[in-house]
Amino acid sequence: MDRTSSPPPARILTGTRARPRWSGAAAGLEGYVYLAPALLILVVFVVVPAIWVLVLSFYRWDLISSDATFIAGGNYLRMWNDPLWWKSLWQTCYFVAVSVPLGMILALLLAMVLNAPLRGRALFRGAIFSPYITPSVATIVIWEWIFNKDYGLLNAVLAVFHLPAVAWLNSPTWIMPSIILYSLWVHTGFNAVIFLSGLANIPRELQDAARVDGAGPWQVFWNVTWPLLSPTTYFVLLISTIGSFKVFNVVFVLTSGNGGVSGGPDRAAMTIGVYLYKQAFEFFRAGYASAISVALFAIILALTLVQMRVASRRVFYQ
Amino acid sequence: MISRLLRYLVLTVAAVAFVFPFYWMVVTSLNDPDQLYVFPPRLLPSWQWHNYAEAWSQVPWARFYANTVLVAALTTLLVIATSALAGYAFAALGFAGKAIVFGTVLAIYMVPSEVTLVPNYITLAHLGWLDSYQAQIVPFGASVFGIFLFRQFFLTLPKDLWDAAQLDGSSHLRYLWSVALPLARPVVVTVGLFHFVASWNAFLWPLIVTSTDRYRPLQVALASFNLVDSHQPMYLAAGALMTTLPVLILFLFAQRQLVGGIAATGIHG
Repeated sequence: MDRTSSPPPARILTGTRARPRWSGAAAGLEGYVYLAPALLILVVFVVVPAIWVLVLSFYRWDLISSDATFIAGGNYLRMWNDPLWWKSLWQTCYFVAVSVPLGMILALLLAMVLNAPLRGRALFRGAIFSPYITPSVATIVIWEWIFNKDYGLLNAVLAVFHLPAVAWLNSPTWIMPSIILYSLWVHTGFNAVIFLSGLANIPRELQDAARVDGAGPWQVFWNVTWPLLSPTTYFVLLISTIGSFKVFNVVFVLTSGNGGVSGGPDRAAMTIGVYLYKQAFEFFRAGYASAISVALFAIILALTLVQMRVASRRVFYQ
Repeated sequence: MISRLLRYLVLTVAAVAFVFPFYWMVVTSLNDPDQLYVFPPRLLPSWQWHNYAEAWSQVPWARFYANTVLVAALTTLLVIATSALAGYAFAALGFAGKAIVFGTVLAIYMVPSEVTLVPNYITLAHLGWLDSYQAQIVPFGASVFGIFLFRQFFLTLPKDLWDAAQLDGSSHLRYLWSVALPLARPVVVTVGLFHFVASWNAFLWPLIVTSTDRYRPLQVALASFNLVDSHQPMYLAAGALMTTLPVLILFLFAQRQLVGGIAATGIHG
C-alpha cells in the first residue's frame, strides 16, 4: 500500500475534503474506545483492588468460604497487639535504613568514577547493571550457596583475611546483613545508572568555572555537583525506599529453604512483604492480610508525599 | 593520568565483584560433588557437563520454559497493543475528561502491586482463572509506563503526517497501525523489552496463582526446586543458569535500550 501517493486529482479539483469519519459526540467516544483495553485492565486490577483492599480489611474471611464477617477495626486491633507484625515492621525499617543509604553512596561513587570518557565504559556499566536485570530467584539461589556457612565463597574470602567464619543464613544476627548484602549487589548498578544520567545533565562549564576559581575536587563536588544533582538524588532515594519497603523475593527464597520457615531463624528476617504473604496465602486470613496491605500502602504513600514535599522545597532545579 | 588509572582500577574491581556470582553459578553447575563440598572452594570448575542433563531430568524444565516463554511473549504483545492505543488516544484524539483520565492513569503508578495481591487473587478466583496462563498475563496487560512513553512519542509526530493520511481517507486506527506505530519502533522496543524481562522474572504473583506444573513458570519452579533437599547445589546452579541465560543474552544484545528503559521507569524488581 503506497501511503505517500497524493489524493485523487478529482478531489482536489472539486475541493471536497475527506470528511472525518467521526464527528461531534462520536469523535469524543473514539478516544475512549482506544483507551478501553488499557483502562479496563488498570481499573479491574489496580484501581478497584486498591479500594477493595480497604473494605476487606474490615472483615474476617478465610478466602474460601462464602461468608465474610464484618468486624470493623478488629484486624487493626489485632495488628496493634501482634508482636510479629511489629517485628516485621521494625525489621523492614532496619533493612531500609541500612540498605538505602549504603546503596546510594556506593551507587553515587560508582557513577562518579564512570562519569568520564573511558574505554569500555558501556562494558563496565553493563557489568554492574547485570544483577538487576537477571531473574532474582536464580541469583538468590546462587547467593544462598555463596552464603553457605561450611562451603560458601564468602567465608572463604573471610578466611583469606584471617577472619572467623560467619553462619550467614543460620544466625538471627547475620541473616539481615546477608539480605542487605544481596540487595546492594542487585540495586547498586541500577541506582548508579540513574545517577550517571543525572551527572551527565550537569553542565561541565559550572564545574570547570569552580576549578578555575581555585576550588579543590571536594569543594567542586560539595558546592556544585551535589546541589545540581539533587533532583536525581531525591528520585533515587524515593524509589529505593519504596522498593526496599516492599522487599519480598530475597527474604522468601533465602529463608524458606531451612525447613520451610520463611522469615529466617527466630523470624529475624521477617519483613512486611513476607508477613503479608504468609497471612494471606499460608494462613488464609484475607482480612488481616488486607489490613497489613493497607498499612504498607499508607507507609509508602506517606513516604512519597513527604519526599515530594521536601524535594519541592529543597531541591535545586536549574 | 593517575586519576584515569584509578578509575579503571575501581571499575575493574567493581565489575569483577558484580559479575562474580554469575561466574560462580557456572562453576558450581559444572562441579563434581566431591569438589563441591570442600573448603576453601575451588575457583575452577571440573566440567561435569552431565550435571545439566541430570538437572534437566529431575523436573519438567521444558514445560516451565514453554510456560515462561508463552506468558512473557503474550504479556509483551498485550502491553504494546494496549499502551499504543491508549498513548495514541492521549496524544492525538480529543475527548471529554482527557486531562482527568490522564492524571488518574499517572496516579495509578503509585499503587504498589503488593498492596493489591489479596483482592486480585479473589478476582481471579471468581473468574475461574486460578492456575492458568491468563492469570499471569492479563493483570500485567496494561502499563502506565508504556502508555506514557507512547503518548510522549506520538506527541512529537508532525501534524502534517496525519493530515496527509486523513486526506487519503485513512482512519485513526489505520494511521496508527501503518504510519505511527512503525515510526514508534524505539518505543515499541523499549516497552517490549522491559515488559518481556519483567514477565520473565516475575515471581510473587505466579507463585500465588499457579499451583501445578502445567502452568508454573521457571522462577516459581526454580524456587520450589530449591526447597527439595536432594537437589544438590550443582543442579540448582544449573537450573539457575538455565533460567538466567536467555535474559543475559537479551541484555548483551539490547543493553542500551534495556538500561535506558529501566532507568526511566524507576521500577524496583
